[in-house]
Amino acid sequence: MRVGGFQWILAIAALILGIVLAFQYRITRDVRINVPVQRAQELSAQVGQLKKERDFSQAQVASLREQLDKATAGIGGDALKKELELARIVAGVTDVTGPGIEITLNDSNINLRPGDNPNLYVLHDEDVLRVLNELKAAGAEAIAFNGQRLLATTEVRCTGPTVVLNKNKRLAPPYIITAIGNPDTLENALKMRGGVAEILQFWGIQITVKKLSQVTVPAYTGGIKFEYARPAG
Amino acid sequence: MNRPIYFSIAAVAVILGLMLAFQFRNTSSISHSVPYDRVQELTIEKKQLEKEKAQLDDEIDDLTAKLAIAGKSAGEANIALRGELEKTKLIAGLVPVTGPGIEITLSDLLGETGAGNASTSYIVRDDDLLKLVNELRGAGADAIAINGQRVMATTEIRMIGNHINVNLARISMPYKVTAIGNAEVLKSSLEAKGGLAEYLSTLGIMVTIQARERVAIPAFKGDLSFDYAKSVQKG
Repeated sequence: MRVGGFQWILAIAALILGIVLAFQYRITRDVRINVPVQRAQELSAQVGQLKKERDFSQAQVASLREQLDKATAGIGGDALKKELELARIVAGVTDVTGPGIEITLNDSNINLRPGDNPNLYVLHDEDVLRVLNELKAAGAEAIAFNGQRLLATTEVRCTGPTVVLNKNKRLAPPYIITAIGNPDTLENALKMRGGVAEILQFWGIQITVKKLSQVTVPAYTGGIKFEYARPAG
Repeated sequence: MNRPIYFSIAAVAVILGLMLAFQFRNTSSISHSVPYDRVQELTIEKKQLEKEKAQLDDEIDDLTAKLAIAGKSAGEANIALRGELEKTKLIAGLVPVTGPGIEITLSDLLGETGAGNASTSYIVRDDDLLKLVNELRGAGADAIAINGQRVMATTEIRMIGNHINVNLARISMPYKVTAIGNAEVLKSSLEAKGGLAEYLSTLGIMVTIQARERVAIPAFKGDLSFDYAKSVQKG
């Protein structure tokens, strides 16, 4: 079989055909994407506006609560007031402060070798759940994740490069967990032998723990209302 | 001239072209399906913000009404204060609640088979329950309990030996998790293909999920004192 001019021409034609096909596809894809970009900008402006309104409503709620507390000062007795304050801390609707720790989590800094599964070296839901669970087991009284208060209904989802919690609050790294409780107990719970810090470090996930004499865990930014659950009895 | 060669080269050309196109399509669909699409993400965020704002506005109305009542007389103020306390206790998980929801039972096959030497992978671990609770929370559950222990913001689910501690209380098999919320949504989030129920079944855990018109979830019964956290007093 001889390699003549025809074959070369056909080979080049094949290459061009391939590239044309690829470009064709790229162009149709660009067209498809342009509309969403505009819509995304619009939406992002609306989201910004809504955030402002939400924050305003939240400030109003806080101030109304204070007014109510003042208006009912001296009524119902101290026990009732104490109970209310406690319930507010438990519910997560009030800022709390106290001694505690601050934990910083970051994805792995290990250089992957070809063939390694990169998925093993990034932060997963389970990792975050485990860290939070250890803190709870060690008696943490209030916890926030990048400033988002952890409620009884707070889920944690790692989606790609971000973590989502409290129904669509998207957080970006570095992840900072603040917890109020006995700083030594909390730190030991994480750092004990075979503990969660050791497991995470095996996968190269960077975890640093800092004891603090005072940390503040903010209130939940939304309103809390049950849609389905009703008081029993 | 040699006709079959042209045919085969032409065929190769077409195949190469198709391969290139497919290759490109593949890589672009990968980048396209990276967890989120901006518009979709923003739409969800907007919806969530609207919901939050509506909830906050309800709270504003409620507090304004209570404030108006409280101004009338000491007796009325007492009622307003008690109302506020009841509401806060409800969302804090200090009151038993009922509502529609689901009931999930997790058990391993140890008891069933009677084989005492089953491998440890068959044992329900704290991780499994943590994931289950997380999934239910993500699906919008209002309240969750594990074997009668109300799951709070500070509730741990932790394996100690062969038992699991929840709210410092020791619970054991079978694990019964109840959740109040939209039963359909809760159920389907667990039963989704490749979802948690499937994952747990592959581990050898028996998972039964049942939608219920009414489930009862008890109040938190543990110790409620805060030794470290103090609420921030606003000036």
